[in-house]
Amino acid sequence: MASVAAPAPPSNQHPIKGVQPLRAGEGNSFVLRRLHSLTGIVPIGAFLVEHIISNIEIVHGPLAYAQQVKFLNGLPLVRVLEWAFIFIPLAFHALYGVYIAIKGRPNVNVYPWAGNWMYLSQRVTGILALAYIIQHLYFQRFTGVSLPEHPGLAYWKVQYELSNPLMVAVYVIGMVVTCWHFAYGVWLFAAKWGITPGDRARKKFGWVCGVFGTVLCAAGLWSIIAIVNAPAVPFEDVMPAQQPGVMAPTVPVQNESQQQPPLTQQQ
Amino acid sequence: MAETKVAPKTIRVEVKRQATPETAAFVEKFEFPYRSGMNITSLLGEIAMAPVTTEGKQTTAVTYDSNCLEEICGSCAMLITGKARMACSALVDKLMAETKDGVISLAPLTKFPVVRDLAVDRSVLFENLKKVQAWVPIDGSYDLGPGPRQFPQIQEERYPLSNCISCTICMEVCPQFNEATGFVGAATIAQAKLFNMDPAGAVLKEERLRALAGDGGIQECGFAQNCVQACPKQLPLTEAISDMGRDVFVQQVKDFFAR
Amino acid sequence: MAAVPKIIVVGGGLAGLSSVIKIAEAGGKVDLFSIVPVKRSHSVCAQGGINAAKNLKGEGDDVFKHFDDTIYGGDFLANQTPVKNMTAQGPAIIDLLDRMGVPFNRTPEGLLDFRRFGGTLYHRTAFAGATTGQQLLYALDEQVRRFESEGKVQKYEGWEFLSAVLDEAGVCRGICAMDLRTMEVKTFHADAIIICTGGNGAIFGKSTNSVVCTGSAASALYQQGAYYSNGEFIQVHPTAIPGEDKLRLMSESARGEGGRVWVPRKKGDPRPAKTISEADRFYFLEEWYPKYGNLVPRDIATRAIHRIVYQEDLGIDGQPMVYLDVSHIDRETLEKKIEGILEIYEKFVGDDPHEVPMKIFPGVHYTMGGLWVDFNQMTNIPGVFAAGESDYSIHGANRLGANSLLSCIYGGFVAGPQAMLYAKNLPAQKGDGGAAKEEVRQREFNNILLQNEGTENPFKLWRELGDTMTRHATIIRYNAGLREADEKIVDLLARYRNINLSDKSAWANTSFAFARQLYNMLQLARVIVQGAEKRDESRGAHYKPDFTERNDEKFLKTTMGSYDPIADAPVITYEEVDTQWITPRPRRYDASA
Repeated sequence: MASVAAPAPPSNQHPIKGVQPLRAGEGNSFVLRRLHSLTGIVPIGAFLVEHIISNIEIVHGPLAYAQQVKFLNGLPLVRVLEWAFIFIPLAFHALYGVYIAIKGRPNVNVYPWAGNWMYLSQRVTGILALAYIIQHLYFQRFTGVSLPEHPGLAYWKVQYELSNPLMVAVYVIGMVVTCWHFAYGVWLFAAKWGITPGDRARKKFGWVCGVFGTVLCAAGLWSIIAIVNAPAVPFEDVMPAQQPGVMAPTVPVQNESQQQPPLTQQQ
Repeated sequence: MAETKVAPKTIRVEVKRQATPETAAFVEKFEFPYRSGMNITSLLGEIAMAPVTTEGKQTTAVTYDSNCLEEICGSCAMLITGKARMACSALVDKLMAETKDGVISLAPLTKFPVVRDLAVDRSVLFENLKKVQAWVPIDGSYDLGPGPRQFPQIQEERYPLSNCISCTICMEVCPQFNEATGFVGAATIAQAKLFNMDPAGAVLKEERLRALAGDGGIQECGFAQNCVQACPKQLPLTEAISDMGRDVFVQQVKDFFAR
Repeated sequence: MAAVPKIIVVGGGLAGLSSVIKIAEAGGKVDLFSIVPVKRSHSVCAQGGINAAKNLKGEGDDVFKHFDDTIYGGDFLANQTPVKNMTAQGPAIIDLLDRMGVPFNRTPEGLLDFRRFGGTLYHRTAFAGATTGQQLLYALDEQVRRFESEGKVQKYEGWEFLSAVLDEAGVCRGICAMDLRTMEVKTFHADAIIICTGGNGAIFGKSTNSVVCTGSAASALYQQGAYYSNGEFIQVHPTAIPGEDKLRLMSESARGEGGRVWVPRKKGDPRPAKTISEADRFYFLEEWYPKYGNLVPRDIATRAIHRIVYQEDLGIDGQPMVYLDVSHIDRETLEKKIEGILEIYEKFVGDDPHEVPMKIFPGVHYTMGGLWVDFNQMTNIPGVFAAGESDYSIHGANRLGANSLLSCIYGGFVAGPQAMLYAKNLPAQKGDGGAAKEEVRQREFNNILLQNEGTENPFKLWRELGDTMTRHATIIRYNAGLREADEKIVDLLARYRNINLSDKSAWANTSFAFARQLYNMLQLARVIVQGAEKRDESRGAHYKPDFTERNDEKFLKTTMGSYDPIADAPVITYEEVDTQWITPRPRRYDASA
């Protein structure tokens, strides 16, 4: 060899195989991830709470439930609200959530620790909730009797759906996984956004979220039980569309009046 | 205590081996006369002195990373009975009690490219430390007088983070640290916090926060909290992630409106 | 000479990183070679702290007192001028580390806190918890990583230094190194090189040192003509936890809090410690030294334990171990005072020291000797500098606690700029500067090693070396034993030629790399035992029962070990010690002995 060999690139200068280093300051996954986290709380989580509270009206019978449905559908720009604050955020949260879930490599088989189980549960409940919501929207919102147009049939539609024991199971599971996903999502939100940095704060907030999720789930299950156990209602609109100038009854109809011909016949 | 129990006659080990990064992995079994008080690194030393498998096949000494052997240099992380831990502080007596059949299995970490046998390439961590500028950018090494005063409370918060030995166990056990996410891992996030907390290191605070918002950054954390469970030095990793998550977000908001 | 000097630093511990920082800062080009990623270097193991006479406790401490303590502690064997310079720079070095973000412990006012350490009366030791070495190494590692990201430093981690490239005039022109993955041998040009490869604990088999502390690089240079000085001065720490793979330090505070050292009176008593009655226990320190009992000074405790094990043959289960018992102390006291160190014991031994006596033994801890360097840290080979534990300066015959971290950084801070200065004035090399020749020499060595069809396992040879060295060349030394050790090493070197590597592959072959280091360990071991054999006195860590006094007339001299390639043996000569600042006086810390 005539001269000293040129220094070879050191071994640590070779392109790194395996997991790549941080792409510092590049990309927009931070915004998307934070948006994903946020949409889970607001508006989706908020809507979930509203939905479960609204469902409690089931306990008060078909008319009360119908009024609640009608009230919601009577909000100004309701279709815009529905798309902007429910469907689009939900679709984003769901799709991006699935994307996140498939990128994870759960390892509870090796490290069976509580937090790791919760990590897995958040992904499993998310996917189950998504499946539930898709069927729920399909059957309850986009097919069958249109409830925005016929809020009076809401009670019947739900009760009819739940007359199938299989669907009861689907709804119960759906309720549990959705509430679980939401409650733990709130906890995760607080942890990741630095609201509960300390171990103790996270532990305490864990209790808060646990109680919150349990109450929410109980409320949801209560309305399911109520409608399943209630006497079956016939297919009739308890609150038909109003003719111009016709006032809706302001007090619930008396017991005997339930035997009267349904109002729909007046149409 | 070992004296009171009936001591096993032999120590049985199964080592997952791989000659080069490209070749297939295989398992070799070894058996040694039992001695109490052994750890995994001494067991690997026994293999080096008599590299013969249980079947009597002559083989080679096992390649693995090690240096200090007292859990401070961070070299010897590997999978021991399936779990990521430091070989130097993994005691054979405890491991034999932990496994059902008493056989101790050794394998390389799974999230890093295998170099040979139990040695893996963990340079991604050091690259990540560059990306977050985990240093204090001093003016120079000449005598410029004492550093800024620091209350003991700051030291007490920084010191545990500064105990990170770069063993990468927090990354290995993290379900989010993988090739699909390219997650930076807890260790680097904790180091970013360490330097953001230093009165002089804070001059690069905003740059570190912006770096951590990049792809593979802090947002990839799924809060499985395995890191903090597995960390051999008990670093407050989840707390660091939480704190930095907030700081990164605030920085992003500031940057968004300042744009 | 090229406008930008090119310096190679070998070793990424405190000394190596501090020299890299100085060179990069001065605009030089640095290649940093290290066997392990530099953040995993042995400097991480230092626990106690770093000395500097900052006098922040109103005690009237000053740098001269630090200088005097260091010289006195080193039993006057160190050249005084570099020690004087080091202690003078101490406060500035602490300030710099502080500015680098080292999490030093603080006073309530936010200033650096200092603790007291052995061998001084002053609070002079700055510390970061119980992991000061780790914290300092990380601070320097971070600075170097910063330079690396700016393209000023090129790291070669996973490369092992094999030898210096020397031109026909014997001037260093670079290094020959081996990639520990591809096993490729390559030469790298440099105008000067700095060796910061630490101590040689591995020569003693098990020590408190890390796996890479083999002394291999220093030995290679010694075989190329560098002087290896004061090799016989090896610090042994009295209380280490014997492990199957290494020795781990057990702080002396265990004895300070009432721990008692004992062995069973009956040789090889098989009973568990707790079942042995008081009458059957031999509290030898208390019996031999009734005045000080278990708190006799370090060297006396070390020698007593050595005597129990090797002369009285009373080690536990016939092993070189004695009990350090704190199990009689109530749990509350232990938890308040020494919980941290007891946890270390439990972690690595698996026994609970609250319940069972700890098993301890003195452990080889620090290499005071090393490559001879002038006051500018340059060895006698032009262009080869050395710093840190791998050079012999500063600590003389015995190192004071918490001085090692300072000496590493000081050495690097001198060697870096001096290497730059040297390189700027270096005439250009002729041809390849001897690179091709050196590469061929190393490849030939490798080929012989790989193709050898002998019967000897290098790890077994190493164990025999360690046993011999520990038995004859550590705590208590007899000339007959040292001669026996030298013969044994010669025998091992002969057997080395009959080596057979179980692994002949050319990828990440650790047995092969180790076998190369082993050869250098064997060569260096001879310097240690011959230096010890010829030094007929007791000084610092070197103790001979046949010559119990210090003999300044004959041996206030630096041992100079040089390699005779024809005889394949060391030649021991002596050099005067620089004592211009402090007149040697007897070294006595106590009146017990």
